[in-house]
Amino acid sequence: MREKLFTKKNLRILKEIAVSDFKVRYQNSILGYVWTLFKPLLLFAVLYVVFSVFMRFPVENYQLYLLLGVIIWNFFAEATVIALRSFETKQSLITKIYFPRIIIVLSSTLTSFMTFVLNMLVFFVFLTLSNIGFHLSFFFFIVYVVELYFIILSVSLIVAALYVKFRDLSHIWEVLLQVGFWLTPIIYPLSMIPADYHRFIYLNPLARIIEYSRVVFIDGYIPAINLNVVLLLVTVLFFALSLLIFRKFEPQIAENI
Amino acid sequence: MDQIIEINDLSKIFRIPHERRNTLKENFLNFHRKVKFEDFYALKNINLTVEKGDFIGIIGRNGSGKSTLLKIIANIYSPTIGKVIVNGSISPFLELGVGFNGDLSARENVYLNGIILGLSRKEVDRKYKKIVDYAELADFMDMKLKNFSSGMQVRLAFSVAIQADADIYLCDEVLAVGDASFQKKCYETFREFMKTGKTIIYVTHDLPSVKEFCNKTALLDHGAILSFGPTEEVVKKYLESLDG
Repeated sequence: MREKLFTKKNLRILKEIAVSDFKVRYQNSILGYVWTLFKPLLLFAVLYVVFSVFMRFPVENYQLYLLLGVIIWNFFAEATVIALRSFETKQSLITKIYFPRIIIVLSSTLTSFMTFVLNMLVFFVFLTLSNIGFHLSFFFFIVYVVELYFIILSVSLIVAALYVKFRDLSHIWEVLLQVGFWLTPIIYPLSMIPADYHRFIYLNPLARIIEYSRVVFIDGYIPAINLNVVLLLVTVLFFALSLLIFRKFEPQIAENI
Repeated sequence: MDQIIEINDLSKIFRIPHERRNTLKENFLNFHRKVKFEDFYALKNINLTVEKGDFIGIIGRNGSGKSTLLKIIANIYSPTIGKVIVNGSISPFLELGVGFNGDLSARENVYLNGIILGLSRKEVDRKYKKIVDYAELADFMDMKLKNFSSGMQVRLAFSVAIQADADIYLCDEVLAVGDASFQKKCYETFREFMKTGKTIIYVTHDLPSVKEFCNKTALLDHGAILSFGPTEEVVKKYLESLDG
C-alpha cells in the first residue's frame, strides 16, 4: 500500500511536528538555543587560533574559509545525530497513531536546518566585514544548500532506520563523525594534500559542497559545470538509495522501537 | 451493505530470537552463526468483515491478540501474511492511547494530536473548547503533559480521538483508567456514535458494556478467532471457556 506523501494532511502534520520539535528542543532555555547557535562559532574560534595563529596556514581569508567549513559540517553532524534518535524520541507518537514515518525524519532535519540558516547569517556578517566584494556567484550557493540538505536527509533516513534495529549505531556514528571531520577538508586547505589523494577526498560529497561553496564565496566564481553535474548526480542517486533503504525498514519501525 | 474493513487471512508473526542481537557488534562478531528464531503467532488466519455502522466487540484473555489486531487495523504494525483493507479514516485510541509528547503543554498536545488525526488547525480551534470540556481539564491546559496523572492523560486523549471526524473508531480499554463519571460519558458518546452510523471496534474486558453496545463480537484465543457473531452467543461461549 503506497500512499501519496505530499497531501495537505501530511504537510500539516509535518509542520506541526517540526514546530513542536523546535519548541521542545529549546523551550527549556533561551540560552540553550543561543548555545547551539554558538557551538560552531566557538569551535571556529578555537580552530582559528590553533591553525591560523599558531600553525599559520597559508590560506587567504582563512577565517571565512574555516567558518564556512565548520558551519556546513556542524549542520551535517548535528542533524544526523538528532535524526538518528528521532524515532526513539517520538516513540509515544509512532506506536499510537499512524502517519508516514518519513515525516519524523523530515521534521527533525528541518529543525536542524533552521539552526544552519541562523549560522549562515553570522557567516554573512563576517563576509561583509571582509575585503571580499559582492559577486553574483554568491547566489549559486542556494544550489549547494539544497544539495546539502538532501545529502543530510539521505544520511538521516539511513541512520534513523538502522538505529531501530542496531542500537549501538549511535556510538559508531559518533566515531564515524569524528573520522569524517578530519577526512573532510574543513580545517586544512586541499592544497596541503598530495594531488593523488584528491579523488578520494572528493568521493565524499560533503567535501565537494564545502570546497565549491568556498569557491563561490571567496574566489567569486562558479565551479566548472561538469563538477556541478557530478555533485548533482551523486546527490540524486544517494537520495534514491536512502529512500530504498528506508522503505525496507519502515514497516517494522513501530514494533521494533 | 458497505464493507468498511475487510481482513483476509491475516497472520502476524513475531520472531522471537533465542539470543538477542540488536547491535551491529553482536551481528558482526557472530555473523557465521545464524540466530535461531521461534515464530510466535500473535494472530493466526484472521478473517473478519466489518460493515459500516457496526459496533464490534473484541474479547478474549490477556495476550490473545486483541491489541495487536487493533494495531494492524490502525496501520501501526504491518501484517506478516494476509491483507487488511480499510475504506475510511481511522481514529485510534490504542493501549491507553496516549500519542502525546510529555514535554509539550496539554494545549499543544491537543493540536498536535488533532492534526495528526487529520484535522486542520482551524478545525482544532473550533473543537478545542469541546475537547477540553469533555475531558474536564480546562484548568490544566497550560501544564506540561508529563505532569498529568495517567487518568487525566487518558481522558484528554480520548476527548481528542472522538473529535476527529473519522469513519472508524478503535477503542482499546477506554474505560480502564477513567473514573465512574467518565465512564458514563464514554457510554453516552458510544450511543451518539451508534446513532450517527459510525463504525466502532471496541476491545475490552468489561463484558456488560460489550453486551450493551456491540451488535457483533469476536472472541480471540491464542491469536485466532474462536467465534464471531451476535454478541450474546459469543459472550456466553467466552464465559463457558473461562469456567472450563
